[in-house]
Amino acid sequence: MRRTRGSRSAARRWRGHLYVLPALAVYLAFAVLPALRTAYLSLFDWDGVTLGRWVGLANYREVVVDPVLRRAVLNSLALVGFFSVLPVVLGLVATGLLAGHRRRGMAGYRFVLLLPQVVPLVAVGVTWRWLYGEDGLVNQALRAVGLAGVGRAWLGDFDAALVAVGLVGAWVSSGLCLMLLLSGVGRIDPSLYEAARLDGAGPVREFVSVTLPQLRGELAVALTVTTVAALAGFDLVYVTTNGGPGEQTTVPGLLIYRLAFSEGRVGLASALGVVLGCLVLALVAAVNRLSGAGR
Amino acid sequence: MADARRPCRARGALVAGAALLAWALAACQALTPGSAIEAPGPRAAPSATAVPDGDVTLRLEFTDAPPMVDALVAAFEARHPRVTVEPRYKTFSDYVRSLGLTMTSDSAPDLAQYAVGMGELAAAGHVLDLAGYRAAYGWDASVPPVSLDQLTAGLTSGATGGDALFGMPAGLSMTGVYVNRELAARAGIDGPPATLGEFEEQLAAARAAGLTPLAVGALDAGGLHLWAALLNQTVRVDDYRDWVDGVAGATIETPGALAATERLVAWGRRGFVDDAANGTSQVDSTARFARGDGVFLLNGNWAAGQLADVLGDDLGFFPMPGEHAAGPTVASGFGFAFAVSSRTEHPAAAGAFLDFLASPEANVIIAEHGFLPGDPDAVPPPTGVFADIAEGHRRAVADDGITAFPDFAAPAMLDALRSGVQKLLADRVAAADFLASTQEVWRAAHPG
Amino acid sequence: MNRVSAAERWSGHVLLAAGAIVVLVPLLSVVLASVQPAGTPVVGPAWPERWSWDNYRQAWSVAGFATLVRNSLVVALGVVPATLALSAAAGYALGAMRLPGGGAVAGFFVAGLTIPVELVVVPLHHDLRGLGLTNSYPALILAEIALFLPFGVFWMRAHFRATPPSLVEAARMDGASSGTILLRVLLPLAGPPLVTLGLLVFLWSWNQFLLVLVLIQDTARHTAPAGLGFFVGQNSTDVPTLAAGTVIVMLPLLVLFAVFQRGFVTGLLRGATRD
Repeated sequence: MRRTRGSRSAARRWRGHLYVLPALAVYLAFAVLPALRTAYLSLFDWDGVTLGRWVGLANYREVVVDPVLRRAVLNSLALVGFFSVLPVVLGLVATGLLAGHRRRGMAGYRFVLLLPQVVPLVAVGVTWRWLYGEDGLVNQALRAVGLAGVGRAWLGDFDAALVAVGLVGAWVSSGLCLMLLLSGVGRIDPSLYEAARLDGAGPVREFVSVTLPQLRGELAVALTVTTVAALAGFDLVYVTTNGGPGEQTTVPGLLIYRLAFSEGRVGLASALGVVLGCLVLALVAAVNRLSGAGR
Repeated sequence: MADARRPCRARGALVAGAALLAWALAACQALTPGSAIEAPGPRAAPSATAVPDGDVTLRLEFTDAPPMVDALVAAFEARHPRVTVEPRYKTFSDYVRSLGLTMTSDSAPDLAQYAVGMGELAAAGHVLDLAGYRAAYGWDASVPPVSLDQLTAGLTSGATGGDALFGMPAGLSMTGVYVNRELAARAGIDGPPATLGEFEEQLAAARAAGLTPLAVGALDAGGLHLWAALLNQTVRVDDYRDWVDGVAGATIETPGALAATERLVAWGRRGFVDDAANGTSQVDSTARFARGDGVFLLNGNWAAGQLADVLGDDLGFFPMPGEHAAGPTVASGFGFAFAVSSRTEHPAAAGAFLDFLASPEANVIIAEHGFLPGDPDAVPPPTGVFADIAEGHRRAVADDGITAFPDFAAPAMLDALRSGVQKLLADRVAAADFLASTQEVWRAAHPG
Repeated sequence: MNRVSAAERWSGHVLLAAGAIVVLVPLLSVVLASVQPAGTPVVGPAWPERWSWDNYRQAWSVAGFATLVRNSLVVALGVVPATLALSAAAGYALGAMRLPGGGAVAGFFVAGLTIPVELVVVPLHHDLRGLGLTNSYPALILAEIALFLPFGVFWMRAHFRATPPSLVEAARMDGASSGTILLRVLLPLAGPPLVTLGLLVFLWSWNQFLLVLVLIQDTARHTAPAGLGFFVGQNSTDVPTLAAGTVIVMLPLLVLFAVFQRGFVTGLLRGATRD
């Protein structure tokens, strides 16, 4: 099997693709092609059974015009705020206060704070649905501190439902964001802090001019992971509010499931899926651009 | 050894590549989704009544009255020892949301409760046409033909040439108002109201007594039952039926519907409806009412068995009263019916189960669980809350006042009404706007 | 670095402890509710007067969580090894060999990190139904593998790129084929990243919900979260049994997390972008 070196290595280099092929085949067949099929189906008016009718971009117009569909897209953006922005801000504040110093018991805290990441979102939803109930823990706590008047059936309240669902998202994501940022702080070169201190920087300026820029990579990861989770908030909403009250907590995933599988509006569901996909892509691209593609 | 393996892997990759290509071709082959071939139309059941003698297992999916279904199944199995029925319960919203997926899948259950969307599934050939059984078993003699006529999906049977039939009712359902008499007495309420106005006074009295006046599970379908109950009192019955049936030109934007909708909004504003209604499912609102939270509860007769177990003689029931004491009794109701999947391998056993539902034995079970038996003469006279329900139903039938549920008007209607009524209860939408958007949903399903 | 005053140190602990309490209270409430005597109208966290394990028996056998957990394991056992094998092979070629066009292929995989399930479910259901594959685990397993592969390939490629090239070069000098190099030289060194990837893929597979609802209609074949999602609607009034079911669905993951803490933490903190 000895051949000349040149031809052997060229052949080997091409043969290397054989290792990629199985993964590529599954990925293409069950992720990429379906995604493209969705884009294609979105151009049809199709009930899922009889022959579809080409309608061009009409489904997309409906996504923009129809108040329920538009509301769902806006809600998912609001959820990004809760799943993503709020936890990152909380994480940054905490990181600033903790200043990255090693602490005893850190492993324990890390274990506990990452727990929500490991629990199925459906179980999280079931738990919070119960806690938010009329006689649930949240209202009990409010009663205990003399705020009984504020209590209500949170998930059924027009003003509170989206915030309530969003706070569950913050509960899920905050620990992850904090731990990501803390692990980033641990990697910052201490000499940067010393230099800043020689310049007479106080703790706040130190945080803004040293810590924050050095955490760009971690911030990008935290925002990306949590944004993807927020836009796919189907699980949580399905078990807590079913999109209600009204359309206060409706998200695209819920409507896609309903439209495609119980109302026979496959084209419209597909268009909504494409819009959601583009939204994820756009937000992730924006985050990575802002972070200066530091990674 | 590794060299010997290489061609093997190459072959594996080739196979994978070929599979991928085949997939791509399959995906492109029919560029336009769907098939131009006319739907095969409903498969018809055989017209014989023989029960197979082998061991057979029937899967049954349903969403109402689990205790009654369990009892019916047990009685049926006792009579046909070689047939096993496996009931699977889903909540109403899960059931309706997944009905299309379930009935079109290869693992469709043999028997499934008839619900919103079943008509469309029947037209597409996923539900067995039972017209043959109707004739062979003589169901017209044991079931009120009216309740079978609700189950034709407007189609003609290919087998008999007459009306198709896509379900067999195990009792009839009706919505109305339950009352906890002990709490009512505490609020000074001493009897069922004769008019809507009187009912409003009672609700106000309950509220003044610091009690929850009317419990409603508006997180899922409870809100639309309340809306329908009010519609029934101010909308002409024929107009409403045309609208639910999708008759061309029908509309819900009528003065009567507006009055009913505005009344619902007013009840929300005046605190007559449980504050937590929008966050409470029907199951939960019923359980809370059973625990003594709520003077009245809006729900269907399917909850009677469960409530009677807890509240006993304190429990009463009346149909939503009309505007005038002398007016007809109008209430929404439907046959609690079972359809047969066209994919079933055991149509004969499924037919035997459906026929059993019309037997005197089944009628007794049905009546015991608060449903209205198809043949009232087959059962002992009901007592307690069951007597209230039977009396209300008798009056509604006598006045030709049984109307279908409004969510049958269009596939998207259930979700539209659920969220719409939530908005009405929270005073977030004007009654006229709600009716306009509801009519929009109707129009999308019934163009032209 | 001696600037940490006692006050600062304590404030840090208070902050972390507060966060830990916020995380733990809901979870502990569920656990406590699950050991209350059946039918108790449980509202908040309360120490049970009498510990009752009947709810677990009820949930496990009567409510069918035994089947659900078994189904979830079957799916995960299909998904995890295949994802690891495919990711390792592709990651090896893209990370340790200089493939012509390798960068583009790697980029193509990374692009898949952002594909939400919602974007693929509709055609997956309709096309797989056309092939008679819905309601079967193979279809669900393949779809999950495809969704997790972008991360898997990205993860293994990063690992193999960080492997010293001299290692591969030396083996090649000894006449080892590319397959031998992967199996005998590189994989034995790739234990930790493979374990981490395996844990993450197990986690994602276990937690998958929408895909299961759409591809598996037979409720007897549902996985644990899908079963729980349906169970909550029926039993929201029987809190102890519902809580027991919830704990059963969470428990396998919590145990794995406790045992393989390091692997999980590494994975979660290195940008696990699929859920």
